[in-house]
Amino acid sequence: MLDGRLALLTPEGIRLSLTPAGPVRRAFAWTIDFVLWLIAVIVIAIAIRFAMGDSNLGEGLFLVVLFLSYWGYPILCEVYAGGKTLGKRWMGLEVVREDGLPVGWRESSLRNLLLVADFLPMMYATGLLCMLFDHRFRRLGDLVAGTLVIYSPKTRARKAAQSGEAHPLPFPLTPEQQRALIDLVERAEHLPPSRCLELADLAEPLTGLRGEASLARLRAYVAGLTR
Amino acid sequence: MKQALFEAQHEALWQRVATLLADKQPSNETQLPALYRQLCQSMALARQRGYSPLLTEHLHGLVLAMHRKLYGTPLERPMTLRRWLGVEFPRRVRQEWRLVLLVCLAFWGVAAAVGLLVWFQPHWAYSWMDWQELTRYESMYSPSKEHIGRDGSDDDVMMFGFYIWNNVSICFRTFAGGLFGGIPALFSLVFNGMHFGVIAAWLSRDPAVAEVFWSFVITHASFEITGLLLSGVAGLRLGLTLIRPGRLSRRHALISASRHIFPVLVGAALLTALAAFFEGFWSASSLIPPTTKFIVGGICWALVIGFFVFAGRGQHEA
Repeated sequence: MLDGRLALLTPEGIRLSLTPAGPVRRAFAWTIDFVLWLIAVIVIAIAIRFAMGDSNLGEGLFLVVLFLSYWGYPILCEVYAGGKTLGKRWMGLEVVREDGLPVGWRESSLRNLLLVADFLPMMYATGLLCMLFDHRFRRLGDLVAGTLVIYSPKTRARKAAQSGEAHPLPFPLTPEQQRALIDLVERAEHLPPSRCLELADLAEPLTGLRGEASLARLRAYVAGLTR
Repeated sequence: MKQALFEAQHEALWQRVATLLADKQPSNETQLPALYRQLCQSMALARQRGYSPLLTEHLHGLVLAMHRKLYGTPLERPMTLRRWLGVEFPRRVRQEWRLVLLVCLAFWGVAAAVGLLVWFQPHWAYSWMDWQELTRYESMYSPSKEHIGRDGSDDDVMMFGFYIWNNVSICFRTFAGGLFGGIPALFSLVFNGMHFGVIAAWLSRDPAVAEVFWSFVITHASFEITGLLLSGVAGLRLGLTLIRPGRLSRRHALISASRHIFPVLVGAALLTALAAFFEGFWSASSLIPPTTKFIVGGICWALVIGFFVFAGRGQHEA
C-alpha cells in the first residue's frame, strides 16, 4: 500500500504500523520546547535574583541550571516520559527506537547531542536536508542513534456493532468492499450531513435508493455484516 | 463468524489486556507472553476476516502497547555506569589509539609548534591576538591577584558554573562536529591548541607570571584537555565511519560505531565536568602555594595517564 506508514513485522507474525512524522510537525514541537525552555530559564533567573540578590553565587548556580536544562531536558523527557518532550506531547509525537520500542539513555543522548550537527551550517539545514532525503524523516541524530520520530498511536474508542434491523446484501461484496462499507457507517457521525448524503448517493448501484433512504439501507447492510 | 460473536468471544481477553496496560507498575504477570500471543492472534483474525476498521484499529493499539510492554522492558544491568567508566571507557580509548595519537598531535603538536614560535619570535603572538587581549591575560595571571585566571573579583561558584556551561558544551559540540568527516572536530582541537600555545608561550616569558600561570593550569588541564581530546576522538570515530563504513551499510556502520564509542563520550563529559570543579575551587585559589599545586597537578596527570594505560585490563568483555 502506498501510504506514509511503516510496517514492522514482529516475531508473532503481526504487522504493526507506525507513522513517521515529517519536518514541519517536528519543527513546531521544537519551537514549543524552545519557547518553554526560554520561559523556564527566565523564570529561574528571576527567582535566583530574588532569592540571592545580585550575587556571583546566584550567577554560578544559574549557569549550572542552564547547562543541565539545555542538554538534559530533552534526554530526561525522552527516557522518563515515554519518548515525549512537552512540545512533542503537544504535537502528538514521540521518539521510538527503529524497532518501535521505547528509547533508552544511549539512544536519547546520542540523538540530542547530535542536534548540534543537524543545526549546521545554520537553522537546522543539515537536519532538514537529511529528513527530506530519508524515507522515514530521520535527521542525522536519528540515523546515528537508530531512532525514529513517529505520531503517537491514537486509540479510538471501540463502539458496539450496529444496532437496528439487518438487511441482506443484494449481491456478494469482496472483503475490501465490505470493509469500506463498515468504515463509512462507523465514520458517518463525524462527517458533515451533506457529505454523508453525497456518499450515500454514490452507493445507488448497491442500494437502488438515494439520499437518506440509501444511507439507512447502508446501515442495515452493515448491521447484517457485523451481527 | 460475524463480528458481534467474535467480539463477545474475545471481550474477556481484551479487557484483561486493557487493565494490564493501564497498570503503570512493572508487573510480575507471568502470563504476559501468552496473553500477548492470544491478542496477536485475535488481531490477525480480525484483520483477515475484514472486521470493522474501528475494531482492528483498537486491537492494533492494544497490540502495539503490549509489544512495548513485553519487549521494551529494559534489561536489568546492574552497575552499567561503573562498568562503563571503569572498564569499557579506558579499554575503548586504547582500542582507538591511532585516533588518540591524531588528536594529541592536533592539539599538543599545534600548541607546541605555535608556542615555540611565539617563545622565540614574540611578535608572532600579535598575528593571533591583539595587544589588549594579551595584556588582559597577563593581568589575569599577575602574581598579586587574589583569584588567578579571572578578570575581576568573580566568585568561585560563578566561575564553576561558567566552566561547566562553557567547557562541557564545547566537548559536546566537538563530538557532534566530528560527524562531518571529522573536519570540524579536528578544527576545534587545532584551534584550541593554537590558542593555548600562544597564551602559554606569551605568559611564560615573564618568570613571575609563568609560575602563576602554570600552577593554575596544570591541575585541571589534566582532566579538561583529556576530556576535550577524547570527545574529539569520539567525534572523529563517527566521521571516519561515515567515510569508510567497512562491510556494513553507512547507516548500520554509524549505529554500531556510535554504540561502541558512547562510553568514551560519557567519560569525556564527566572528565570535563570534573575539571570544572578543580578550575573553579582549586586552581584559582592564591592561598595554595604553587609548589602544592604542581605536586597535585603532577599526581592528577599521572592518575589520568595511568588510568588509560592500565584500567580495565584483564577483564572479560561483557
